[in-house]
Amino acid sequence: MRISENMKLQSIVDTMFKTQGDYNQLMEKIASQKRINRPSDDPAGINRTLGFRESRASVTQYGRNIEKGESWLTMTESVLTSAGDLLVKARETAVAQSTATASAETRSIEAGTVQQLIDEMLTLANTKYGDRYLFSGTKTQETPFSSSRRAAAEIGDPVAAGGNAFDGSVGKAGTYTGTQNKTYVVEVVAGGTLADVTYRVSADGGKTWGDTQTDLDGGTITLGEGIQLEFTDDGDTLLTAHDIFYVNASVAGYYSGNGDELSVNIGDAMSFDYSISGEAAFTDKGEGNVDIFGVLNDLKDALESNDTDGIASQLDDLEAASDQITKKISTCGTRMNRLEIAKNTLADLEMDLADLIANVEDADMTELITQFARKEVVLKATYAAASQIGKLTLIEFL
Amino acid sequence: MSGINALYIAKEALLSHQTAINTTGTNIANANTDGYTRQRPIFNTLSQSVEISTIERVYDQFLGSQINEKRHSLGSSEARQDGLGRIEMIFDEVGDEGINGLLNKFWNAWEDLSAHPSGQTERMELVSIAQSLTSKFDAYSDALLSLQYDANARIADLVQEANSYMTDIADINGRISETPPDDSSINDLKDKRAELLSDLAGVVDFHYIEDASGSINVYLANGMFLVEGVQTGDLAVLSGNHANTLFYDVLLEDDANEAPLNDVITGGQLKGYLDIRDTEAAGYITNLDTLAASLVSEVNTLHRQGYDMNQNLGEDFFDSTKTTAGTIEVSAAIVADINTIAASETVNGDGGTAGTIGALRNEFLMSDGHATINGYFNSVVWQIGQDVADANREYDHHTDLVSQMTNKREDVSGVSIDEEMMNLIRYQNGYNAAAKLCSMADDMADTLMTLVS
Repeated sequence: MRISENMKLQSIVDTMFKTQGDYNQLMEKIASQKRINRPSDDPAGINRTLGFRESRASVTQYGRNIEKGESWLTMTESVLTSAGDLLVKARETAVAQSTATASAETRSIEAGTVQQLIDEMLTLANTKYGDRYLFSGTKTQETPFSSSRRAAAEIGDPVAAGGNAFDGSVGKAGTYTGTQNKTYVVEVVAGGTLADVTYRVSADGGKTWGDTQTDLDGGTITLGEGIQLEFTDDGDTLLTAHDIFYVNASVAGYYSGNGDELSVNIGDAMSFDYSISGEAAFTDKGEGNVDIFGVLNDLKDALESNDTDGIASQLDDLEAASDQITKKISTCGTRMNRLEIAKNTLADLEMDLADLIANVEDADMTELITQFARKEVVLKATYAAASQIGKLTLIEFL
Repeated sequence: MSGINALYIAKEALLSHQTAINTTGTNIANANTDGYTRQRPIFNTLSQSVEISTIERVYDQFLGSQINEKRHSLGSSEARQDGLGRIEMIFDEVGDEGINGLLNKFWNAWEDLSAHPSGQTERMELVSIAQSLTSKFDAYSDALLSLQYDANARIADLVQEANSYMTDIADINGRISETPPDDSSINDLKDKRAELLSDLAGVVDFHYIEDASGSINVYLANGMFLVEGVQTGDLAVLSGNHANTLFYDVLLEDDANEAPLNDVITGGQLKGYLDIRDTEAAGYITNLDTLAASLVSEVNTLHRQGYDMNQNLGEDFFDSTKTTAGTIEVSAAIVADINTIAASETVNGDGGTAGTIGALRNEFLMSDGHATINGYFNSVVWQIGQDVADANREYDHHTDLVSQMTNKREDVSGVSIDEEMMNLIRYQNGYNAAAKLCSMADDMADTLMTLVS
């Protein structure tokens, strides 16, 4: 085989470039401390690491959600505990004033004490967490409890959503026959004149809907449970598709919130209800058994009117009220435990993911430095060999 | 007379050896010239003396065409490696600020909103992150488009380059056919032409034959000629046939049908850049567009079922008229008034819709229900990594092949200084011997002269 001048040089130069290329790659990995500096360094690896990062972001977020739920529940528990204390005081007063040792004056004075208890209970029940009421159910922007009792079921004035096109008038009619506070929503499905309009009704604030109805012709529709709405086409624009109207219907009592609970996601497809509704804690509607404000006000009235039997008859109710509060406090406890367990699981998962990510991405420094040292030796040898090329030719001997 | 004959013999020998030494000199002088083929004087007996019948150009035709074939593959893999390497740089996913990282933040922002649906901070955060996400989509899409334009420009440049090579080859064809075959300057021309063919091979693929007149004719795969004798079939570019009207097709300038040659070209850098523009970059743009369209559609569908802070049903979250990666945008109405973000399932403000949208991250919405949105994107990044790694491997492989073939060529045609030194000694001896013969013949003639006088 003949060796030409070009061959001598080319093979050394090619080897030198290859070795330098490997050397530079190793330097990059050492400097960045990462095995993967671009997708092509390890395509399968980067796929896995992107997946891990995605999971880690989820896990961290669920942890944050859990913390928010925990804070809410901690505050709820503290408020309910104070409420429980107030009820104990009320019961003590009732016990004392129902015996023969009390008199009309003491009862009259204690009526004032009970009024203060009621005022404080009201403050507690209307506690806010940030800009939201703790005990309004999902109507977090509305004050849950008022000091005066609603004597009978009430249908609120219908409200048109801000973006409605319809500018005619909407009125209410009928008597609410339901057993809980609810928000009814009407959505216009197909618009037009009253005769053409089709609509649908939701009884739970707009989450689930009934079938489309077509009976708006006369302008009056029945939403359900005795609520009626009356539409009049006395404006410039007719009813248009997606116009929303809602009505708050309340039962008799002190409460204006609803019985729904707020929720957050604490895992994949895992929604967790974390709030306690004022309805369940303080009223006798929905999940609740005792109208706490009702009982306290009855006690106060009995004290004021010196009604011994009346006072005594509140004792059982006051006990039931304490039980209701205690039950809700323990619900807070169970929920917080659940969240704590979830949080710990997530914390472990987060650590595991961090490890997995590091395993894929991070460079093994020991291995790299060893390789680097080896490459350096090879490079030096190549340079040494290159310097010899061209020194030895026949010409030197002629 | 034998004496005078000897003179004649000596003269021819002297001249021949002088030529041989000159040829050796040419070889030595061109030891480092690119593409130089060593020349070898062929001694031939001619009526008792010697002549140099030809100065042979030591060249293996078969090797030459093999190398050019390998150069086709090298050219296209070089272009692919270049283009794909740049695509890889666009997808900056190794940190947390790429599309994967921003998608994660996007889903998280919805979750934060579900825990506090009336929160102004949470709403502003969501809009801000959503805008970063759409900007990122836009940035990637733009960069890919820009890469396509670069490839497009390269295609036009390569066509020019090819045309200039073809013109030179045709020119040399002409000169070779005019040069008498025993003129040694023909070797220089042939060397030059071989170099030009090599260069052309890196740009576009072809096959070629040498015809009876010594011209090399170059043909495309479909039989159309690029060079035929002194004629050239110049290539040209024509825009307007693609969805993007600025993209070029390659065609023959004189083709009345203006038939594009994009599919006919299967090697060389032209093929590489055509692939980069029309297959690789276009493919990734399509992937990003599919992802953007899904994101817009899925989020909007859920958003429209939720209620905002004014108890209105939600409208579009993303502008539903803009569904490609390059155009995706948060709806202007949302940006103008963050209270129109529909976070709740009921008119009471419960945050349920925001939670459902956040949970979209786990839904199998892509690839016929086999991949999540993040999953789909991650597999695109994997694909890019794989393609680049493959392109790098292929480029190295082809470089090695061309290197090996070139070494073989050098084996046959390269100049070895040591060999030329030996030749020099040989021819010098021959020359000296011939000179000696001359002087001997001269002496003999003298002797003859003095004999007679």
